[in-house]
Amino acid sequence: MIPMIMKMRVYEEGKRPFRFFFPVILIWIIVAALMIVLLPLVLIAALVTWRNGPGKLLLISYPIFFTALFQLSGLHIEIGNLKRELLIHFE
Amino acid sequence: MSDERRKILDMLAQGKITAEEAEKLLAAVASPDSSGPEDSSAKPGFKYLRVLIEPGPGSETKDRVNVRVPFKLIRAGLKWAAFIPQTAQKQVNDALKEKGIEMDFSKIKPEDLEELVSHLNDLRVDVEGKEKIRIFCE
Repeated sequence: MIPMIMKMRVYEEGKRPFRFFFPVILIWIIVAALMIVLLPLVLIAALVTWRNGPGKLLLISYPIFFTALFQLSGLHIEIGNLKRELLIHFE
Repeated sequence: MSDERRKILDMLAQGKITAEEAEKLLAAVASPDSSGPEDSSAKPGFKYLRVLIEPGPGSETKDRVNVRVPFKLIRAGLKWAAFIPQTAQKQVNDALKEKGIEMDFSKIKPEDLEELVSHLNDLRVDVEGKEKIRIFCE
Protein backbone atom coordinates (compact mmCIF):
# COMPACT_ATOMS: atom_id res chain seq x y z
CA MET A 1 0.00 0.00 0.00
CA ILE A 2 1.42 3.36 -0.99
CA PRO A 3 1.92 5.69 1.99
CA MET A 4 -0.72 8.39 2.11
CA ILE A 5 0.32 10.48 5.06
CA MET A 6 3.66 11.50 6.55
CA LYS A 7 3.91 12.65 10.13
CA MET A 8 6.95 14.58 11.22
CA ARG A 9 7.81 16.01 14.61
CA VAL A 10 10.90 18.00 15.51
CA TYR A 11 11.57 19.14 19.02
CA GLU A 12 14.53 21.08 20.29
CA GLU A 13 14.99 22.39 23.79
CA GLY A 14 14.15 26.06 24.04
CA LYS A 15 12.44 26.15 20.67
CA ARG A 16 8.85 25.75 19.64
CA PRO A 17 8.04 22.14 18.67
CA PHE A 18 7.41 21.62 14.99
CA ARG A 19 4.68 19.21 13.96
CA PHE A 20 4.06 18.35 10.35
CA PHE A 21 1.19 16.26 9.04
CA PHE A 22 1.36 16.00 5.28
CA PRO A 23 -0.68 14.01 2.73
CA VAL A 24 2.31 12.70 0.75
CA ILE A 25 -0.05 11.19 -1.79
CA LEU A 26 -0.02 14.66 -3.39
CA ILE A 27 3.75 14.44 -3.87
CA TRP A 28 3.49 10.92 -5.30
CA ILE A 29 0.97 12.16 -7.88
CA ILE A 30 3.36 14.91 -8.99
CA VAL A 31 6.33 12.52 -8.99
CA ALA A 32 4.37 9.95 -11.02
CA ALA A 33 3.37 12.61 -13.54
CA LEU A 34 6.98 13.78 -13.84
CA MET A 35 8.24 10.24 -14.30
CA ILE A 36 5.68 9.56 -17.03
CA VAL A 37 6.76 12.75 -18.83
CA LEU A 38 10.42 11.75 -18.53
CA LEU A 39 9.82 8.12 -19.54
CA PRO A 40 10.44 8.58 -23.30
CA LEU A 41 13.74 10.36 -22.58
CA VAL A 42 14.78 7.67 -20.14
CA LEU A 43 13.95 4.96 -22.67
CA ILE A 44 16.02 6.70 -25.35
CA ALA A 45 18.92 7.18 -22.93
CA ALA A 46 18.66 3.53 -21.91
CA LEU A 47 18.78 2.38 -25.52
CA VAL A 48 21.71 4.65 -26.38
CA THR A 49 23.76 3.55 -23.37
CA TRP A 50 22.60 -0.08 -23.36
CA ARG A 51 25.93 -1.65 -24.36
CA ASN A 52 28.54 0.33 -22.51
CA GLY A 53 26.67 2.63 -20.18
CA PRO A 54 24.02 2.50 -17.50
CA GLY A 55 21.22 1.56 -19.93
CA LYS A 56 20.02 -1.47 -18.00
CA LEU A 57 20.15 0.43 -14.72
CA LEU A 58 18.12 3.26 -16.21
CA LEU A 59 15.52 0.81 -17.38
CA ILE A 60 15.14 -0.90 -14.03
CA SER A 61 15.22 2.36 -12.08
CA TYR A 62 11.50 2.90 -12.61
CA PRO A 63 10.23 -0.37 -11.14
CA ILE A 64 12.80 -0.20 -8.33
CA PHE A 65 11.74 3.33 -7.43
CA PHE A 66 8.06 2.44 -7.35
CA THR A 67 8.70 -0.76 -5.38
CA ALA A 68 10.57 1.23 -2.72
CA LEU A 69 7.88 3.90 -2.70
CA PHE A 70 5.06 1.40 -2.19
CA GLN A 71 6.88 -0.23 0.72
CA LEU A 72 7.47 2.97 2.66
CA SER A 73 4.19 2.52 4.47
CA GLY A 74 4.79 1.62 8.09
CA LEU A 75 8.25 3.14 8.29
CA HIS A 76 8.76 4.74 11.68
CA ILE A 77 11.89 6.60 12.72
CA GLU A 78 12.08 8.18 16.15
CA ILE A 79 15.36 9.48 17.48
CA GLY A 80 15.82 11.73 20.45
CA ASN A 81 17.18 12.52 23.85
CA LEU A 82 16.28 14.98 26.58
CA LYS A 83 17.17 17.99 24.45
CA ARG A 84 15.96 17.14 20.98
CA GLU A 85 13.72 14.70 19.18
CA LEU A 86 12.90 13.77 15.61
CA LEU A 87 10.02 11.61 14.46
CA ILE A 88 9.17 10.57 10.92
CA HIS A 89 6.30 8.21 10.28
CA PHE A 90 4.66 7.05 7.07
CA GLU A 91 1.20 5.52 7.03
CA MET B 1 -11.21 -32.16 6.18
CA SER B 2 -7.47 -31.64 5.87
CA ASP B 3 -4.96 -34.14 7.23
CA GLU B 4 -3.69 -31.67 9.80
CA ARG B 5 -7.14 -31.07 11.25
CA ARG B 6 -7.89 -34.79 11.34
CA LYS B 7 -4.58 -35.48 13.15
CA ILE B 8 -5.31 -32.78 15.71
CA LEU B 9 -8.81 -34.17 16.35
CA ASP B 10 -7.40 -37.70 16.61
CA MET B 11 -4.86 -36.50 19.16
CA LEU B 12 -7.66 -34.81 21.12
CA ALA B 13 -9.79 -37.96 20.96
CA GLN B 14 -6.86 -40.05 22.21
CA GLY B 15 -6.30 -37.61 25.06
CA LYS B 16 -2.80 -36.69 23.92
CA ILE B 17 -3.65 -33.01 23.92
CA THR B 18 -6.15 -30.90 25.84
CA ALA B 19 -9.14 -29.15 24.27
CA GLU B 20 -7.34 -25.80 24.66
CA GLU B 21 -4.24 -27.05 22.88
CA ALA B 22 -6.40 -28.50 20.12
CA GLU B 23 -8.17 -25.19 19.71
CA LYS B 24 -4.85 -23.36 19.35
CA LEU B 25 -3.56 -25.90 16.87
CA LEU B 26 -6.75 -25.75 14.81
CA ALA B 27 -6.57 -21.96 14.77
CA ALA B 28 -2.97 -22.14 13.61
CA VAL B 29 -3.88 -24.58 10.86
CA ALA B 30 -6.84 -22.45 9.79
CA SER B 31 -4.89 -19.17 9.55
CA PRO B 32 -3.86 -18.24 6.01
CA ASP B 33 -0.28 -17.67 7.12
CA SER B 34 0.11 -21.30 8.09
CA SER B 35 -0.32 -22.47 4.50
CA GLY B 36 3.40 -22.01 4.09
CA PRO B 37 5.34 -18.98 3.05
CA GLU B 38 5.63 -18.45 -0.66
CA ASP B 39 9.05 -16.97 -0.28
CA SER B 40 11.39 -17.29 2.63
CA SER B 41 11.22 -13.60 3.56
CA ALA B 42 7.49 -13.64 4.18
CA LYS B 43 7.42 -15.74 7.31
CA PRO B 44 4.14 -15.29 9.12
CA GLY B 45 3.95 -12.62 11.76
CA PHE B 46 7.13 -10.75 10.92
CA LYS B 47 6.61 -7.59 8.94
CA TYR B 48 9.04 -5.17 10.50
CA LEU B 49 12.59 -4.96 11.73
CA ARG B 50 12.66 -3.04 14.98
CA VAL B 51 15.61 -1.27 16.55
CA LEU B 52 15.00 0.03 20.06
CA ILE B 53 17.55 1.87 22.13
CA GLU B 54 16.37 2.99 25.53
CA PRO B 55 18.40 4.81 28.16
CA GLY B 56 19.65 2.63 30.96
CA PRO B 57 20.23 3.73 34.57
CA GLY B 58 23.78 4.92 33.79
CA SER B 59 22.89 6.86 30.67
CA GLU B 60 23.75 10.55 30.81
CA THR B 61 22.38 11.72 27.49
CA LYS B 62 19.17 9.65 27.69
CA ASP B 63 19.39 8.88 23.98
CA ARG B 64 16.40 7.06 22.58
CA VAL B 65 15.98 5.38 19.21
CA ASN B 66 12.84 3.70 18.00
CA VAL B 67 13.02 2.56 14.39
CA ARG B 68 10.58 0.27 12.61
CA VAL B 69 11.49 -0.66 9.05
CA PRO B 70 9.19 -2.81 6.89
CA PHE B 71 11.00 -5.90 5.58
CA LYS B 72 9.66 -5.21 2.12
CA LEU B 73 11.30 -1.80 2.19
CA ILE B 74 14.65 -3.38 3.14
CA ARG B 75 14.35 -5.76 0.20
CA ALA B 76 13.38 -2.93 -2.15
CA GLY B 77 16.22 -0.80 -0.82
CA LEU B 78 18.76 -3.52 -1.46
CA LYS B 79 17.93 -3.36 -5.14
CA TRP B 80 19.32 0.19 -5.13
CA ALA B 81 22.72 -1.37 -4.42
CA ALA B 82 22.95 -1.97 -8.17
CA PHE B 83 23.23 1.78 -8.63
CA ILE B 84 26.32 2.13 -6.44
CA PRO B 85 29.16 3.02 -8.81
CA GLN B 86 32.33 0.93 -8.95
CA THR B 87 34.45 3.75 -7.52
CA ALA B 88 32.20 4.01 -4.47
CA GLN B 89 32.40 0.25 -3.97
CA LYS B 90 36.19 0.55 -3.76
CA GLN B 91 35.85 3.30 -1.17
CA VAL B 92 33.48 1.11 0.85
CA ASN B 93 35.96 -1.77 0.65
CA ASP B 94 38.78 0.48 1.84
CA ALA B 95 36.70 1.85 4.71
CA LEU B 96 35.77 -1.68 5.79
CA LYS B 97 39.41 -2.75 5.56
CA GLU B 98 40.41 0.13 7.83
CA LYS B 99 38.00 -1.25 10.42
CA GLY B 100 39.51 -4.71 10.05
CA ILE B 101 36.75 -6.18 7.90
CA GLU B 102 38.14 -7.93 4.83
CA MET B 103 35.22 -7.90 2.45
CA ASP B 104 34.83 -7.26 -1.25
CA PHE B 105 31.62 -5.31 -1.66
CA SER B 106 31.52 -5.87 -5.42
CA LYS B 107 31.36 -9.65 -4.97
CA ILE B 108 28.10 -9.54 -3.05
CA LYS B 109 25.36 -10.80 -5.33
CA PRO B 110 21.68 -9.78 -5.08
CA GLU B 111 20.84 -13.38 -4.18
CA ASP B 112 23.21 -13.20 -1.18
CA LEU B 113 21.48 -10.08 0.05
CA GLU B 114 18.08 -11.71 -0.45
CA GLU B 115 19.21 -14.65 1.66
CA LEU B 116 20.58 -12.32 4.32
CA VAL B 117 17.30 -10.43 4.59
CA SER B 118 15.24 -13.60 4.60
CA HIS B 119 17.21 -14.82 7.60
CA LEU B 120 16.77 -11.55 9.48
CA ASN B 121 13.47 -13.03 10.68
CA ASP B 122 15.43 -15.09 13.17
CA LEU B 123 17.52 -12.16 14.39
CA ARG B 124 17.26 -11.05 17.99
CA VAL B 125 19.83 -8.90 19.74
CA ASP B 126 19.58 -7.78 23.37
CA VAL B 127 22.36 -5.69 24.87
CA GLU B 128 22.19 -4.06 28.27
CA GLY B 129 24.72 -1.47 29.28
CA LYS B 130 24.41 2.27 29.58
CA GLU B 131 21.67 1.86 27.02
CA LYS B 132 19.33 -1.04 26.46
CA ILE B 133 19.61 -2.08 22.82
CA ARG B 134 17.08 -4.42 21.28
CA ILE B 135 16.96 -5.50 17.66
CA PHE B 136 14.19 -7.87 16.72
CA CYS B 137 11.47 -8.65 14.20
CA GLU B 138 7.76 -8.23 14.75
